[in-house]
Amino acid sequence: MKTRVRELRKERKLSQEELALEVGTTRQTITSIEVGKYTASLVLAYKIAHYFGLTIEEVFDFSDANKF
Amino acid sequence: MEEFRTNVKRRITIFSGMTLVAAALGVYNFLLMNYSEDATMYDGSVTGFQSGLILSIGIIAVVQIIKLTRAVNDETNLKLLYNQEHDERLKTIRSKAGMPMLMITSILMLIVAIVAGYFNIVVFYTLVITAIVQLSIGAIVKLICMKMM
Repeated sequence: MKTRVRELRKERKLSQEELALEVGTTRQTITSIEVGKYTASLVLAYKIAHYFGLTIEEVFDFSDANKF
Repeated sequence: MEEFRTNVKRRITIFSGMTLVAAALGVYNFLLMNYSEDATMYDGSVTGFQSGLILSIGIIAVVQIIKLTRAVNDETNLKLLYNQEHDERLKTIRSKAGMPMLMITSILMLIVAIVAGYFNIVVFYTLVITAIVQLSIGAIVKLICMKMM
């Protein structure tokens, strides 16, 4: 899944470790989300979006979810 | 977080107990070793393995005590440890690799192997080899999942 996590994190000059600490996950998970290897759960997606002050749809791209 | 801190403190106590038990068993095994002139390598292999296993349990316990004590004394380390243990991706990987059931059965097998080693050497080797193979498969699956996720 495509996300804007890296872009938003860099805008705020945050390291992956700092973001991970803020949203209650590990640096490796943030890396996996950024490169699209791992799809975050609803709770983690909410925490990340909430941290950036945005909605889940503004951070995560759900366009692929409509394809079936 | 305070609840987690109490949990970590409880774990430190358990690991301290494990260290003491490992030290006591290590001394007992050392005294039990067959040092007679006609003793073969085969005679000492079971006791040797048991001593090695007990020593490694002791070392792991001491390392854990150091790691957990650092976490208890520092808020950031405690949060990092909490995140590490509650990370959803790692939880998924662990469950795909068959943990924690694989770990529990392997540890039980090794404990039973230590006890069985005093009575039957075939049972001892069978249990140890099974536990090692089981753990190796779990570790390989975990590594593959970590690469994929």
